[in-house]
Amino acid sequence: MDIFLQQLANGLTIGSMFALVALGYTMVYGVMRLINFAHGDMVAASAFVGLTIYTQVMGQATSLMAVIAIFLLAALSMAVVGIILERIAYRPLRGAPRLSAVVSALGASLVIQNGIMLIWGPRMRIFPELVPQVYWDFGGVVISLIQVIILVLSLVLMISLYLFVEKTRMGAAIRASSIDQDAARLMGINVNSIIALIFIIGSSLGAVGGLFIGLYYRGITFNMGWQYGLYAFIAAIIGGIGNIPGAMLGGMLLGLFNAFIAGYVSSTWADAFTFILLIVILIVRPTGILGERVAEKV
Amino acid sequence: MNRFIRTILVAVVVALLAVPALADTLKVGVQAPITGSYANEGQGIENGVRLLAEQINAKGGVMGKKIEVIACDDQGTAMAAAICAKDLVNKGVSMVIGSYTSTCAEAAQKTYFNAGVLQTSDGTADSLTEKGYWTFLRNSFPNSAEAEFVANYLVKVKKYKRIVVISDFSTYADGLANATQAAIKKLGGKVVSRDKIKADSQNFTPVLTNIKSKNPDAIFFAGYYSDGGQLRAQQKALGIKADFYGGDANDNPDFVKLAGSAAQGAFIINVPSPDVLPYDIAKTFIADYQKKYGEMPPSIWGLMNIDGMRAIIHAMEQNKSFDTKKAADYLHNMKKPLPGITGPITFAKDGNRNGGAYVVKRIKADGTYANEYVQ
Repeated sequence: MDIFLQQLANGLTIGSMFALVALGYTMVYGVMRLINFAHGDMVAASAFVGLTIYTQVMGQATSLMAVIAIFLLAALSMAVVGIILERIAYRPLRGAPRLSAVVSALGASLVIQNGIMLIWGPRMRIFPELVPQVYWDFGGVVISLIQVIILVLSLVLMISLYLFVEKTRMGAAIRASSIDQDAARLMGINVNSIIALIFIIGSSLGAVGGLFIGLYYRGITFNMGWQYGLYAFIAAIIGGIGNIPGAMLGGMLLGLFNAFIAGYVSSTWADAFTFILLIVILIVRPTGILGERVAEKV
Repeated sequence: MNRFIRTILVAVVVALLAVPALADTLKVGVQAPITGSYANEGQGIENGVRLLAEQINAKGGVMGKKIEVIACDDQGTAMAAAICAKDLVNKGVSMVIGSYTSTCAEAAQKTYFNAGVLQTSDGTADSLTEKGYWTFLRNSFPNSAEAEFVANYLVKVKKYKRIVVISDFSTYADGLANATQAAIKKLGGKVVSRDKIKADSQNFTPVLTNIKSKNPDAIFFAGYYSDGGQLRAQQKALGIKADFYGGDANDNPDFVKLAGSAAQGAFIINVPSPDVLPYDIAKTFIADYQKKYGEMPPSIWGLMNIDGMRAIIHAMEQNKSFDTKKAADYLHNMKKPLPGITGPITFAKDGNRNGGAYVVKRIKADGTYANEYVQ
């Protein structure tokens, strides 16, 4: 039983990281019907930006305030990168066939990935131990402080995003733009700024995800965005791409699924089973688990 | 007809361009993971080769020829390694230094053999020398030697009762883990679990959770430092009390950085570190390296590769010929060992380097090593 609970804790931790990243895919898709392939590399970039902020700006201080400042500054920088990305790579192609935008997204992904390599070098960089290694043992199930932080902070962010989209005027504008951009424009919604807002939110959440990866695993490489991006993309599809609660659910499910397959079957097969799960869900429920209300995709 | 003439013209021009280039320099290829997870080691190899080439060129080159270094990045993947091999052969190298991983060395071996290009790698997988390629010279010591040392240490010296062996799926790690498991069994020890992780996947807790339920007293990890450091950190995080032993490829400063405060008390098993090499030639070379690059060589592996390169050049000079077959014959039948950075160099007929002594190093609180056991 304690093995089961331990795998559950492991799965929820990686699941919440997947979910945070998946939100970026799903929000952009909801409004623009575009798979933003560069999102995974933005996640990787945020880990490197966070590391640079720590070493250069914070002067390697390891207080709680420093950690909060790293999160805020990294999210802010990635939000700026997100807006620039949208302006340069996606806005000029908004009227173009959808394939052009996808190719542009793949190009942007390569540019960001190689940009990271040029700026920070091809070596693996190592994140400092910003969160002290504190563990609690609950009858054989060990949970660490960093796991608790990741879980709680992810849940807080996801719930506030949900409330923002469902309960505020700005959220209503996002939902309206995702249903019909032209109609939204006729209602006086500035769709351009809504899309910019989507990129700001998606990129900042991705930035938090990237910092979690850095804090939890500590080793970051310039090409790691691809791996996490792929997982998050699958999570978004499993939950129903374009659906915000779906991305959260998909991320958590994928994390748990991965942990249990790796734990009970074999880590060799974890990736294969992930794709089998994706295929099964696409056959049984092509819209994803929560993707039924096609008209209200956000 | 027009096309035929054009082809001939192009061929003539290429030949004219190529001939003086061939005559001018001795081309030395470097095949190493210059980017990717093992970039630290790959750059160490490239830096070392460039430094040695510079030093030899400053003394007038090899029999009047300057050394020209051509590097190719195999990224630590077999696919890129195969491409590198073709590329380096096409560029006319007569020897290739690298690669760091056995997987990459193995993927490139056949291409070099077919082209008669000498290859020297620190790859420790036994399979590298089992193919009968005269072009391959191993500048490190094979896995089987390490496996026997590890098994003897864990079973006979430390008397562990419940040992776990972990590897990734690479040629080197899987080979070392299997050989170690077999050696432990032969000595009457018990391997309670033989697990595999996916390199670079970062999340090893699912596998470690299973290992925890087996209640081991020692874990031997046969993979690379980039995973080993994280594995050690996650082992501690899960509260697994077993002693952690990392195989030779964990001997890299990044292991300690990745494991963070969990690094303390972990053990690394390898040949002696660069900073404790007792040979004068080692001290000079490492000092030159530090002067040029502002840091220590990342590990012993880059230096092993440098020794491989020195041996090949030594053989060419002894033969007074750039012929690669003759150089290989010389090295396979060396009577007098060549003093090397990592110890005296001689090769067995199958291309294995002779000798090899291992050390168990304990990681101290400040991240440096203390020798725990010396063979």
